[in-house]
Amino acid sequence: MADELIPPGWSYNPASWAQRLPIVGLALLGFAIAGYLSLYQMGVFATVWEPFFGAGSRKILNSGVSRILPVPDAVLGALSYLADAVAGIIGGRARWRTMPWIVVLFGLAVGPLGAVSILLVVLQPVMFSAWCTLCLSSALVSVLMIGPAMDEVLASLQYLKRERDSGRSLWRAFWGLSDKRAQQQVSHVG
Amino acid sequence: MWARLINLALGIWLMAASSVLRYGEPARTNDYIVGPIAATFAIIAISEATRGVRWVNALLGVWLVLAPWVLGYDSAWLILHSSVIGIAMWIVTAVRGTITQDFGGGWSILWRRDPKRH
Repeated sequence: MADELIPPGWSYNPASWAQRLPIVGLALLGFAIAGYLSLYQMGVFATVWEPFFGAGSRKILNSGVSRILPVPDAVLGALSYLADAVAGIIGGRARWRTMPWIVVLFGLAVGPLGAVSILLVVLQPVMFSAWCTLCLSSALVSVLMIGPAMDEVLASLQYLKRERDSGRSLWRAFWGLSDKRAQQQVSHVG
Repeated sequence: MWARLINLALGIWLMAASSVLRYGEPARTNDYIVGPIAATFAIIAISEATRGVRWVNALLGVWLVLAPWVLGYDSAWLILHSSVIGIAMWIVTAVRGTITQDFGGGWSILWRRDPKRH
């Protein structure tokens, strides 16, 4: 029964809840950190927690770069974390083959969020000669999510490649439309 | 695992080194950029499915050996510092570490044509 959830040639199911829930937990942690920083940037809190770098957090969070867009950068971060959490939750334990679109979306949300985080980490000392503890923590959280999220993306991409190689529609497979037949085949075999 | 953690420590050290050892440009900015990137790929490479991205750190290691000459570091110990960290990154990258799981052929089969089908 559980075997049909494991991708061919894999030793485990990357879409199992044990694999996905820790990533969702990290995303919610990131959302909490970025949400707190957003509230500071929007003036809800007058001060920001900074145990190590003195005026660093204030300098970074009020910098020109943080206001380059219409909304403060932490707001975008918080929304990205929320998107990660939602994309991590949607779909069942076979979603690498029943819903490749959400898995690919999940990978696309987690990957670039990590890239932007690292860019912001590089900018802190180079442009402002300052560090911001919670900004670094948020970046760490987004980087921690990347590796654990990518195995599921790999399983989906391998599935899509198999579908295309066997002459079926890549488009239908991507949206999970060709999977009914695959499930029937599996149940016959089982 | 330990190889990735050493790599991570090297990256974090580069982020802090210019403050701890009090050195300036151009080494400071270089290390501020290389440090977080190295730490990032060290963390991503902890996961078995993405272990391959550790090779980014081998490239960063080469750059750390070349950087003193390309950017013109002005002290011998700064050149040594950058080179030693660069070589250390190379060595830990060469350590693949244990892979206990199977991934259906991994990332490389995505680019391989299936001879059975065509």
